[in-house]
Amino acid sequence: MGFLELTSLTKTFGTETVLDGVSLSVPEGGTLVLFGKSGAGKTVLLRSVAGAIEPDGGTILIGSEDVTDVPPEYRGIGMAFQNFALFPHMSAYDNIASSLTSKRMSASEIRTKVQAVAELLKIEHVLSHAPKALSNGQKQRTALARALVSEPRVLLLDDPLRNVDAKLRFEMRLELPRLLADRGATIIYVTQDYKEAMALGDRIAVLDQGKIVQIGSPADIYRRPANTQIAQLFGDPTINLLDIVPKEDERGLHGFISDQRVDFHGRFPGVAGRDCIVGLRPEALSFTETGGFPVTIEAVTPFNEKTVTLVTTLRGREILLSQPAQDPVPAGPEVNLGIAAQDAILFDRATGDRIAPEPDGNRVEEAA
Amino acid sequence: MTDTLTTRRRQLISPRALPYVLSLPALLVCIGILIPFVTAIYYSLQRYRMSQPWNRGMNWGENYVKFLTDSDFWNTLKVSLVYAGSTVVLELLLGLAIALLLKKRSTVNNFISIMLLLPLMTAPALAALMFKLMTNPNFGILSYFMQVIGFEDFRWGSSPDTALFTVILVDIWVYTPFMMILLLAGLRSLPTQPFEAAALDGVPQLEQFWRITLPMLMPYILTAALFRLLDSIQQFDIIYAMTQGGPGDTLMVFQVEAYLNFFQSTNVGRSAALLLILWAITYVLSNIFVKNWLRLRERAKGGA
Amino acid sequence: MDHTSFLERWFRRAALTVIIIFFMFPIFWIVLMSLQTNETILRSPPSMSFAPTLDNYTAILAGRLDSNVASMGIDFVNNLMNSIILSVCSVAVALALGVPAAYAFARHKFRGSEDIAFTLLSFRFAPPLLVLLPLTLYFQEIGLADTYLGLVWVYQLICLPLILWIVRGYFEDISPDIEYAYRIAGHSWFSTFRKIALPLAGPGIAAAGLLAFIFAWNNFIFALVLASADKQPVTVGALAFVTASGIQYGQIAAAIVLSIAPTLALALWAQRYLVEGLSLGAVKG
Repeated sequence: MGFLELTSLTKTFGTETVLDGVSLSVPEGGTLVLFGKSGAGKTVLLRSVAGAIEPDGGTILIGSEDVTDVPPEYRGIGMAFQNFALFPHMSAYDNIASSLTSKRMSASEIRTKVQAVAELLKIEHVLSHAPKALSNGQKQRTALARALVSEPRVLLLDDPLRNVDAKLRFEMRLELPRLLADRGATIIYVTQDYKEAMALGDRIAVLDQGKIVQIGSPADIYRRPANTQIAQLFGDPTINLLDIVPKEDERGLHGFISDQRVDFHGRFPGVAGRDCIVGLRPEALSFTETGGFPVTIEAVTPFNEKTVTLVTTLRGREILLSQPAQDPVPAGPEVNLGIAAQDAILFDRATGDRIAPEPDGNRVEEAA
Repeated sequence: MTDTLTTRRRQLISPRALPYVLSLPALLVCIGILIPFVTAIYYSLQRYRMSQPWNRGMNWGENYVKFLTDSDFWNTLKVSLVYAGSTVVLELLLGLAIALLLKKRSTVNNFISIMLLLPLMTAPALAALMFKLMTNPNFGILSYFMQVIGFEDFRWGSSPDTALFTVILVDIWVYTPFMMILLLAGLRSLPTQPFEAAALDGVPQLEQFWRITLPMLMPYILTAALFRLLDSIQQFDIIYAMTQGGPGDTLMVFQVEAYLNFFQSTNVGRSAALLLILWAITYVLSNIFVKNWLRLRERAKGGA
Repeated sequence: MDHTSFLERWFRRAALTVIIIFFMFPIFWIVLMSLQTNETILRSPPSMSFAPTLDNYTAILAGRLDSNVASMGIDFVNNLMNSIILSVCSVAVALALGVPAAYAFARHKFRGSEDIAFTLLSFRFAPPLLVLLPLTLYFQEIGLADTYLGLVWVYQLICLPLILWIVRGYFEDISPDIEYAYRIAGHSWFSTFRKIALPLAGPGIAAAGLLAFIFAWNNFIFALVLASADKQPVTVGALAFVTASGIQYGQIAAAIVLSIAPTLALALWAQRYLVEGLSLGAVKG
């Protein structure tokens, strides 16, 4: 049983169901990343845990104690808001100290703690400033400091990097995991950025339309996304999704992409002949001299660390391919494309859900 | 841990009850006002003169039916509407003109707009007294001016011909700044791009006013005009302090007539019925006003 | 505007001059009158050359009016005191009742909240006599007639809706997240209200309070109907004074100046807040 335990939380605003029976469990000291598009219900879920929103149904347990009806000030939670929510009429120092003034603590004790957390977040020099006089990055750090300073048992971070610029976001993405790991708090981290999600979470919960659609380790969700939508959200460039109707023979389930045979390892009873989609990560594709199938290079986009190439098959299907920047792109336009078939993911075309092999198949699903 | 949480959990007031507790005093005041309101309705359905307590009794709609053939009532309605209509139109035109003149932010313009606040901050009843002094036939400066420009016998509030003009003048003096403030705020909040585009296209100023300024300012004009109309149709202070409804029945607007009915002729029933008719008029107007006003507030918030 | 013509500029100036004269002249003239003796006031044609005197003011403040004909008592200082008591108490009560209610209306959309808010607002627009006339009869029955308490209560009719609606707008402008953040930081509902909501809505509360004070001070009809001589504020008192003192025009002018001076001074002192309140929340400065 987790330290933070949510059981079938529901919340509706008017006719709109924002949370539809969400259950989650985060172990003590663990970090759960809550990932989803805007409007998926992430913020509402977080606020329910914080006590700012009263859920219509379900229970919230912190350290095996039911806090569903406990007002926010008694929940022992720290929270950083997406819009920072700094108190505009207080200095950065007072903002941070506000998390301590409610506790029985001497002024000097408060000063020591605020100084310590400010040093940690590198904002000692702006503590006397009003929020208006802070840069976005400093605001974000102040908000974070306010959430951290009281050493809460549960830390809720609502997309804290959303409103800061790209450079700072990159820095913080490197810095945050270390910072958070040191605190020992149980953390829920909300984000819409899959890279952030992959970098921070022990586990990622994907929320869509008020429902948890998948929970797993970052690698798990990347390799075995529950449906095409999640597959598309995780990964850049986006996964290639190609229509396919798999067939079955003595070597197992397989399909064809431009006459290239793709094998699906494992037992898939009843899948043959169904309308399916095959998902191919751009990294799972490579240019090859031998074998593969012919494609035409349409566009090459070099990034710093990788090169993304858009190709079309003879039937005109567009495919994205990503390779390390140092690997050369062959002179085109006609080239051959190879598929690392073990990375192909099979989805049902009607529902979009992933079709998993039966558990006793040839290839064991390893836990990542 | 469990212990601290559960013991501290009890709150004085449950969160659900909190908003009701907070608004309870305001709510009680509300009820306290509703009671006399209901009483007024009850009175309006009665034959009720304080001088004839023995004659008191329900006569249901008779007070209202009588109004149909009561020339005093029709005079009241007419005077009230003329007063409200003319003050609102004149104040609107004048207020708009001043707002346009002061539109540009400059030290002088800001100073003038602050000075114009002063009449608005003057109690209307006292403003009426000020004008009464200034229009005194013996020493009033305005009476003197009238003499100078050739109106030898201009008697202001004491003549039935000019009494309405006089009170309207006081009303304009007091309330034009209100129109000006709201319209100036509106003018200054308008986006500048349409005007810049029009200036580039060489659209003449006057046409800019008709085609851009006026339509964009319309919500503000409507709100200001409705607000003033609501107040003006109930005007009491200025008229009562100036002439007490006279001379004769020249200025017998609703509230003055109802006041005199109640305190002079002690006809409570008729007084209440008059006020309820006025209330019905203001109720319709205030509904339109509130709708307009809320839309305007939303816009101001959205633009901010 | 570089291309405004000379003619247009000249026209602007002329128009503004006329406007200033029209709106400032009555105040200016009353002040002049208040500094004159009856003899200089009654000169014809009127003239601006006279030896200013404060006699009118001293007579009013001393409470005695000695003319060559007779001597009479003036109770105008009492009226001034009444105005102060009534306005200050009314605004204090309206703030105490209205600010928490405004907060409730802004933050908690509870059942019936809009109805209550609109009912209160509609009183602002209803004819005051409609409520006042039945009240005179009730007040006599319950002993509130001619008491400060009764008057302050009736003054809520103007003060409360004003404060409720203006302050509510300011509370609504505070991001709820800021308040949640303070609660989550471990503070009770009440200290959040005190330390976050109240200071942030401060300017709005000041504007509403100021406006309520001025409206209460300027009110005429409530006291006219409900107050007898010893509880009357300046608005009603001045009218009675005109009738009583007959031809003591200098004193009348001085009384009027004393009556309007507090609100005008307040208006000049806090004009920015006032404009914000007066523009009905249509513009946020």
